[in-house]
Amino acid sequence: MITGQFLEYSTGNFFDEMFDMGTELLTRPHYEKVLKRLSALTPSEFEEKRSQAVSSFLEHGVTFTVYGDAEGTERIFPFDLIPRVIPDEEWTIIDRGLKQRILALNLFLHDIYHEGRILQDGVIPREIVETCPYFRKEIIGFDVPKDIYVHVCGSDLIRDDKGTYMVLEDNGRCPSGVSYLLENREIMKRAFPRTYQAMGVRSVEMYPELLLKTLEHLSPRQSQKPVCVLLSPGVYNSAYFEHTFLARQMGIEIVEGRDLIAIDSFVYMRTTQGLVQVDVIYRRLDDDFIDPLFFRKDSVLGVPGLMNSYLKGNVALANGVGTGLADDKVTYAYVPEMIKFYLGQDPILESVPTYLCWREKDCKFVLENLADLVVKPANESGGYGMLIGSESTKAERDEFKNRIKENPREYIAQPIISLSRHPTFCNGGVVGRHIDLRPFILYGSDMEVVPGGLTRVALKEDSLVVNSSQGGGSKDTWVLKK
Amino acid sequence: MLSRVADNFYWMSRYIERAESITRMVEVNQSSSLDCSEEKLEEFWDPVLRAICASETFKESGKKDLAQFLFFSSDYTYSVKNCLAFARENARMVRDQLSMEMWLELNNIFLFFQSGDAEETFLQDPQIFFQKVIRFSLVFQGLAGATIPHDEGWHFMALGTFLERADQTSRMLDTLNFQTHIPTRLDLLAVLRSCSARTAFRRQYRGELSMQNVADFLLFSQDFPRSIRFSIRCIDENLHAISGVPSGNFSNEAERLIGSSLAMVNFTNINAVLSIGLHQTIDELQKKLMKVGQCVFETYVLLPFEIKSVGQTVTAQAQAQQQ
Repeated sequence: MITGQFLEYSTGNFFDEMFDMGTELLTRPHYEKVLKRLSALTPSEFEEKRSQAVSSFLEHGVTFTVYGDAEGTERIFPFDLIPRVIPDEEWTIIDRGLKQRILALNLFLHDIYHEGRILQDGVIPREIVETCPYFRKEIIGFDVPKDIYVHVCGSDLIRDDKGTYMVLEDNGRCPSGVSYLLENREIMKRAFPRTYQAMGVRSVEMYPELLLKTLEHLSPRQSQKPVCVLLSPGVYNSAYFEHTFLARQMGIEIVEGRDLIAIDSFVYMRTTQGLVQVDVIYRRLDDDFIDPLFFRKDSVLGVPGLMNSYLKGNVALANGVGTGLADDKVTYAYVPEMIKFYLGQDPILESVPTYLCWREKDCKFVLENLADLVVKPANESGGYGMLIGSESTKAERDEFKNRIKENPREYIAQPIISLSRHPTFCNGGVVGRHIDLRPFILYGSDMEVVPGGLTRVALKEDSLVVNSSQGGGSKDTWVLKK
Repeated sequence: MLSRVADNFYWMSRYIERAESITRMVEVNQSSSLDCSEEKLEEFWDPVLRAICASETFKESGKKDLAQFLFFSSDYTYSVKNCLAFARENARMVRDQLSMEMWLELNNIFLFFQSGDAEETFLQDPQIFFQKVIRFSLVFQGLAGATIPHDEGWHFMALGTFLERADQTSRMLDTLNFQTHIPTRLDLLAVLRSCSARTAFRRQYRGELSMQNVADFLLFSQDFPRSIRFSIRCIDENLHAISGVPSGNFSNEAERLIGSSLAMVNFTNINAVLSIGLHQTIDELQKKLMKVGQCVFETYVLLPFEIKSVGQTVTAQAQAQQQ
């Protein structure tokens, strides 16, 4: 029965995660227990739990940084106490679909940086690859450790108005957010201990251990306990909290570029007892910055000589160099073809139909239908620089038209997907807000998808942008046991 | 451990100790200053300002309220607010190595200052404010002792704490040298209280309050944890714990310098010091301690071949942090 703060709730014309809208609200079975608990809370009890969560985040320093904002150097990631629940039968499909995808992406990267069969067969145009800013011709022919390029992947999933799961993008460089996933879980276990237990939620706390295992798998020195480090850009990076969090959980050193030094193609960290050789670097730094002798010369964050050591096989990097190619939203459009080409399978998870402005026919269509599309730069992340047609002004659309014409390769467009909504506590009441899901996949000796993920929620009414940098919040994601 | 991490540990604890020290000093002097007419206030605070090398910055700032300047000013690099922000910045970089309890204490006091609550409390009820800051530092040091392994990082923290403490105690004692008059009973008491030493002093000297006794106690006490001798001994112990070289020998310049300072305080006495001059002795000690800090940096943080190449800027930056 629907009571309490949910009485007034309306799903609108959207797919709602918690309720099935017929003639009246019907609770989806996997949400029943949690809804019963939440409905029993008075608004003031709810508010109290919420403020406890906020102060816990603040005290623990679970913060992120918003760039281009002078005053708010550190903020907490807004958190919503109503959990998103995914039943086992849905998760099984997601799990299989993501594994299939990351396998195909890795085979693709191997192929591109070696024989290039997929290009020779004309499945993917060569020009697309060669014009991608993250394509690294320097590593062509180089055999990466264990032949794995993307070790940590955070793909973004959405559901459309029918509830179909679709992949929105793949983040194969340095996806972040896993620390929030783990912290959110801690908070939820404290806030609703009995409901959590009664529902049979799958645990996520093994992530740091799995990550360490994934890293150690890459070590060039298998004879001894590998020395792994986490390379961070430093305190001023938006995800710095996450870096210290993961390093602490794994029990490895968190280092900055200045803590490492490359001598004769080996990488060492400077310690008070002298230099210590490093085997595996979990780098949270983009390719461009890791080695000023190799990529961007003005980088002060990297380690001069690192690439040379990497190419000689004396140190492993996770993720590998050149994986940004798989993040390119133009490459993204070809993932279904990759799955067919390398695995001979049909994709388990759908992709969002994508128009590539680079193709003349698509470009024409995009320019004519701008108001009904979402336009994204092919190589940006964090929700920066995109245009949502339905919410844009004519002037904005005109500006985008010019940008697209000037540089069609750099833009893609997709139909505006009506993202699924989830009951969310906002401005003193429970309302529907759009959400997505970022699960994390690890690829080491085995492939593992952490059962859960970061559910991001657009806190502004009707907004479709869930990125933390654009005012999004997060929810805990409960994947149920069989 | 990572050199940079050692450096962060060291500065984190130095800044916390400094914040505590400044707070206690203002607390003590503020209550005495109430006995002083308003025209004489400037004269009253002058020795304190000179001892902590802040006279000029204070004049330039044009601020009226000295206590507010020392606590909250952003112009004064070592205002308590700034010290705590530096400490937290250093802590943030080594967060993975601190216990959750330590981080929560430090982050809480930082948020207290950033939010403006600190200034509000200070205006409403200064006593509560002083207690909160001092308690924070003591709790933090207690937690450091009780919740993390006493490994290398811990020794670097202790090193920072005791180097700062030796320095601060010497500065408190030095205020007596900057008085325009012969130090009164009140002046002597203020110095003792600034070092949290009144009770300990009473017990040792049965209340015989004189310049000579106060200086003797703060310089040479064997067992009072804020005396200069005690602090220097702790610096020596921690340096040797880090290098693994037995005490009495030295493997680097920092160890040599602190060893010679320790010998000095072990084998001289108050009469000898007073005949040379208290201020001169303190001044030399302070210079030596500063050199020790710099040598620790060169030994453990810089690689040998870097000292020559980047030595100047790095040392300049490091020194800029030493008052």
